[in-house]
Amino acid sequence: MSPKKRTRTVKKKKKARRVVKRVVRPRVITPGPTYAVNKEFAFFNELHALILKPSPAERGELMRRIASLGRVKLAVISGVFLNTPDQSALIDTNAPTDLFLVADDYSKQKLSAFLKALESEVGKEIKFGIMDREEFMYRFGMFDRFVRVLLEGPHEKLINKLGI
Amino acid sequence: MSKSVLDNLFGSRARVKILKFIFRTHPEHFTFRDVVQRTQESEEVVKKELSTLESMHLVRRISNGS
Repeated sequence: MSPKKRTRTVKKKKKARRVVKRVVRPRVITPGPTYAVNKEFAFFNELHALILKPSPAERGELMRRIASLGRVKLAVISGVFLNTPDQSALIDTNAPTDLFLVADDYSKQKLSAFLKALESEVGKEIKFGIMDREEFMYRFGMFDRFVRVLLEGPHEKLINKLGI
Repeated sequence: MSKSVLDNLFGSRARVKILKFIFRTHPEHFTFRDVVQRTQESEEVVKKELSTLESMHLVRRISNGS
């Protein structure tokens, strides 16, 4: 092969590649601009702590809203609801759920609306679990792993009509 | 539902929700879509709040997403 011929084939290849790119490009979905919090913001740490601080008033409000879902026997919060910013990473990975309910009688519609609203307020997806009283007592009695991890880890009972 | 202290302090429930979302998401990046979906606020409101946060340099644009 002469040198001249070789360069020609290379050129051809390059051209071919360019054409492929042009075909692919329009297929890429444009996700829109990407944002991030600016860590250099003057009050970054203070604002971060303030915004993510769990407040007692919110907890009372949460309790009222859960109680209004139906006959809730037990409501346990953990994970995201207990977080203070500095320990968030630690608790997040350990908590099996953020919100756990035991209820016999509740409206699924109300529940999903409640969860959606709650997620929008918390700013994060909520790991959620619900059981009826019978299943919970069975699992509680046999030291079920899920129940044990939840109740032995950091948590708080907002409603407790089961005396556990 | 009664307004929380933060909602009153910051003057807008939507703004507090957006702040919560962005601080929870930190240090991950997020898009306009993400904010709208998570906060359940209207595109209009989110656009306004985001541009306010951007102009005070609390939020910065990483890429334009072309």
